[in-house]
Amino acid sequence: MVAIASAQASQTARARRRKKLQRLLFYTLLVLVAVVLTVPVIWLLITSLKKDVEYLSYPITFLPAVPQWKNYVQVFDPKFHFLKHAGMTVFLAVTYSTLCVLSSALSGFAFARFPDVKASRRLFGIVVAMIIIPGIVTIIPQFMIFSKMRLTGTYWPWVLWGLAGSPFHIFLFRQFFLSFPKELEDAAEVDGCSPFSIFWRIFLPNAQPVIATSFILNFVAVWGDWFTPMIYLRSDNTTLAVLINNVFRNPAGNLITTLTVAGTVVYILPMVLIFFLGQRYILKGVVTSGLAGR
Amino acid sequence: MSLAGPRPERTRATARSRRRQRTFYTFISPWLLGFVLLTLLPLIAGLLISLTNYDGLNPRSMHLVGLDNYVTAFKDPLVRHASGRTMVWVLLNLPLWIIVSFFLAILVNQKIKGIGIFRTLFYIPSVIPAVGLVWTWKILLEQNYGLLNGFLSLFRPGTAIGWLSDQAIYGVTSIALWSGLGAGMIIFLAGLQGLPDELIEAARIDGASSFQVFWKITLPLMTPVLFFQIVLGLISAFQMFVIPWLATTSGSVPAPPRGVYLYMVNIYRQIFGVGRFGYGMAILWLLIVVIMALTLLVFRTQRYWVYSEVEE
Repeated sequence: MVAIASAQASQTARARRRKKLQRLLFYTLLVLVAVVLTVPVIWLLITSLKKDVEYLSYPITFLPAVPQWKNYVQVFDPKFHFLKHAGMTVFLAVTYSTLCVLSSALSGFAFARFPDVKASRRLFGIVVAMIIIPGIVTIIPQFMIFSKMRLTGTYWPWVLWGLAGSPFHIFLFRQFFLSFPKELEDAAEVDGCSPFSIFWRIFLPNAQPVIATSFILNFVAVWGDWFTPMIYLRSDNTTLAVLINNVFRNPAGNLITTLTVAGTVVYILPMVLIFFLGQRYILKGVVTSGLAGR
Repeated sequence: MSLAGPRPERTRATARSRRRQRTFYTFISPWLLGFVLLTLLPLIAGLLISLTNYDGLNPRSMHLVGLDNYVTAFKDPLVRHASGRTMVWVLLNLPLWIIVSFFLAILVNQKIKGIGIFRTLFYIPSVIPAVGLVWTWKILLEQNYGLLNGFLSLFRPGTAIGWLSDQAIYGVTSIALWSGLGAGMIIFLAGLQGLPDELIEAARIDGASSFQVFWKITLPLMTPVLFFQIVLGLISAFQMFVIPWLATTSGSVPAPPRGVYLYMVNIYRQIFGVGRFGYGMAILWLLIVVIMALTLLVFRTQRYWVYSEVEE
């Protein structure tokens, strides 16, 4: 009896030790993957603190002799107009996002709460198809039309795009509004509420999480977009993405890599901040986009 | 029963439904108008322009050329080259992205202490916008001053591989992969977390190994997510443009190297580089048709390998 019990005890001890080892190996794997994925970001930060000659040395130097914090001061030098274009980018992103959220919410509301309208299902089919159908295929022909209307070089295209809403965001709002109880609507209608005030006073104020998701995703999209402002806007009213890509030059006209990299860090920083503050909303949006077609 | 009985009832009902219909159309009108003017119209305009020799500057000298642009496209060696490179790009990137992001999702789906930190860390690359992304990688992959060649030189002095020039397909693939993993991981993770725990528990009690659980239960149940990832990945891989363009061009290099001269890159070059708007629109339409056909094809394969709960 005693022999069996002790054998069992040593067996569980061995199992526990094996489990511990497994866990240790697993953490090692996680750390390894994390290192591989974060090395580029660390190298970006290190390079942003180098002198340009240090970056251009061969063989490469891994660390700056003295961290050049003044790179970050230089990024804001008035001659590069960084702050001016940052302001323009924020203005453009906020304008577009606000319009897009409102328009998408309104359409999403209609698609969710008017299932009795015959064409509703078919029209919503178009919305879903538009989520999948690529944007880049319309952007170039659109550009030709906008340039015919002399709207290139202005922010008006963004206003129109915002007003039209976005299929994915319509989808997002529709899914959310579907879950509202029918009684809420009926009671409001009996009280003489118009459909618009049902939307405006009851549905919208209760949709804060989707509004946040939608606004953040739109804002991030405009901030990160390089292609559209590059072909639509002039160099004096373009967004940061286009600016930082080729503004940091020395008097001879050559691009200064370390300064561009410092500018890149400043350009990325708001996105990282928004991610940490709105992580919950952003990830929810990503997940929805992944499951939209189902 | 009076004949007049049901009538007012019905008129009231139809009046109400007509009113609701009007409200519905009013509410969706911004989107509907936008769809017609900003999507449908440009697509049709693009189709019409593809039948002309429009150069983007002189509408006066524009005239119809019929299907000439399409005929040219099929004979154009540049189109053939770009199509080939796009196929290579898709075949290299799509499987890599799917497999690695699925693997990451499985890693961060373990219920252990501190896993939230790793989830966040793994997602961080996806937060970086295209221009930032490309600069982050330019300084890693630069031929003479980049970290990667510098690191390789420690073992083999003088390593100077052109990760963004003659080997650009690998350099640009790393960039695109690194930036896409976060979103892929999160979507797979959501799928994994939606799997029924009981099934996996039951299999474990019956003595199934982790390997068996993965192949026999997890993977089949994940096929709907996998399917959708493939569809979306396929569509976006065919349109890849911004990353290869930004990563490989500069003031002195006006066009990407041959390795990453992808289909969209060629379209952009034809339209904005050489001003062949009509021709560019024609090859753009060919791309749209190919993407739609492939998407339909993938949808057709769905019933052979995608698990669905509802038996049809």
